[in-house]
Amino acid sequence: MCAGVCGVFVVAGCNGGTVDRHALTNDSSTLDSIACEGALLAHDVARGRSTVFFAREQAEELRIQSSNFADALSRRKTIPAIKDQVRQKAKHAATLAATLQQLHNHPSSRSVAASVERKLKKLGNCS
Amino acid sequence: MSKVLGLALGILAAIGGFVDIGDLVFNVSAGATFGYELMWVIPIGVVGIIVYSEMCGRVAAVSGKAVFDAIRERVGFKAGLGALVSSEVVNLMTLAAEVGGVAIALQLLSGLPYRWLIVLAIVALLVVIWVTSFEWLERIFGYGGLCMLVFAVAAIKLGPSWTDVGKGFIPHIAGDSKLLYGYFIIGLLGAALTPYEVYFYSSGGIEDQWSPKDIGLNRANAIIGYGLGGFLSLALMVVGAALFLSRGISPEHLGTIALGAEVPLGQIGLLLALVGILFAVGGASIDTVFSGAYNLAQFCGWEWGRYRHARGAPRFALTWIVLLVLAMGIVLTGVDPVVLTEYAVIFSVVALPLTYIPILLVANDRAYMGRYGNGRLANVLGLLYLVVIVIVALSAVPLMILTNVGQN
Repeated sequence: MCAGVCGVFVVAGCNGGTVDRHALTNDSSTLDSIACEGALLAHDVARGRSTVFFAREQAEELRIQSSNFADALSRRKTIPAIKDQVRQKAKHAATLAATLQQLHNHPSSRSVAASVERKLKKLGNCS
Repeated sequence: MSKVLGLALGILAAIGGFVDIGDLVFNVSAGATFGYELMWVIPIGVVGIIVYSEMCGRVAAVSGKAVFDAIRERVGFKAGLGALVSSEVVNLMTLAAEVGGVAIALQLLSGLPYRWLIVLAIVALLVVIWVTSFEWLERIFGYGGLCMLVFAVAAIKLGPSWTDVGKGFIPHIAGDSKLLYGYFIIGLLGAALTPYEVYFYSSGGIEDQWSPKDIGLNRANAIIGYGLGGFLSLALMVVGAALFLSRGISPEHLGTIALGAEVPLGQIGLLLALVGILFAVGGASIDTVFSGAYNLAQFCGWEWGRYRHARGAPRFALTWIVLLVLAMGIVLTGVDPVVLTEYAVIFSVVALPLTYIPILLVANDRAYMGRYGNGRLANVLGLLYLVVIVIVALSAVPLMILTNVGQN
């Protein structure tokens, strides 16, 4: 059982291979998800409907996640045909992380939150 | 009157105590991924846990034997040892995930550093378990968990399409992403039927000193408590579908689930959701740590039970303390509790037959049960769910690998 648990952790949890089109599509949709969640959070902060601690910590969680993507997409091997797209996506993830950092730094500022919401909606093509 | 009060209190505790981190993660993610299409899985899982909890509660009330006593007696030492090891591994993973969930909820409420809160959560759980009676442990966390009802209000406030919600209760196969759909079915059933719930339920019956006259109370607790707990699971899925699906948000953090109450209800919704999550996962931490200690003590034939206090059952007390410390060590490695939850739920599914087959055998054994053995309905449902459990157990790990733990 223990060996099985470890084995499946390795097989299923492995995420460091070459970036192909499928992986890029998955990573792109995750980044859009992060942006749209951040926008939803910023929307509530802008209207005074959240708490300072929640906004700060949740924005930080999302920032770390997008920052990890930026790091991984800029370093991981890619198939040559999509190399530019992958590096572009890495920059996109870094921009997303920087925008979320603003919300983390100013979790009680309604004006910052409104600006962050607009940026994140654009970054994530959110509805 | 005291019986009615006892029943009401037990039901309230069961509602608040039904939802754990596995239910939170899988129900909201299922809604955010497939909308209302998987609503039908929840009643199936809830009826399953009612059937087997009622059975093992009845066995406990009549024979004074908990699940692992039965496992040891019915399947022999070697198979029993296999069941023990697998259940302890899954229990520890689940416990670590729940403790991580407690720390995250505290962090979102207080803004304090996560790692410090893991230690604080463990110390708080140790103190609460040490000083509080079993009855009050159930009640405190069950009542606190009632704050989770805020998700039912949020679900209504989000204005879902009730026609689509209704259609979701009709079992069907997804049009596309069939593997992912299958993975979520397994996860939802695993979250509802998780083995620690029956270990805790049956041993809890003995802690509460149930006797054959409590069989009616056992049945009512299981049916109404788990039934209403299932209602909470449905509410979580509706929130996932109505709020996150249309926005393309895939919930990967516990905080995202709380956002599901904040968006429709504002600060008060957020705070109730966070407090509810705190008590729900805190209560589940206690259930899992006790389950781990119950299983080992029952298998080894040690004295066990919270009611005996540490002096009366020292090895049992030492086991739950060690389990809490081990869980703290796991969470302090930095593993994501949400990811750990997904693995714990899927692996618990693999261990399900080892838990449920002995319960069914013992509940049918007239030597144990006398006239309180299973009736026709309990046997038909028990066998039906056993088939479901075996199918689910065999397909859990392949589906987890094929879908990259539900990522695609």
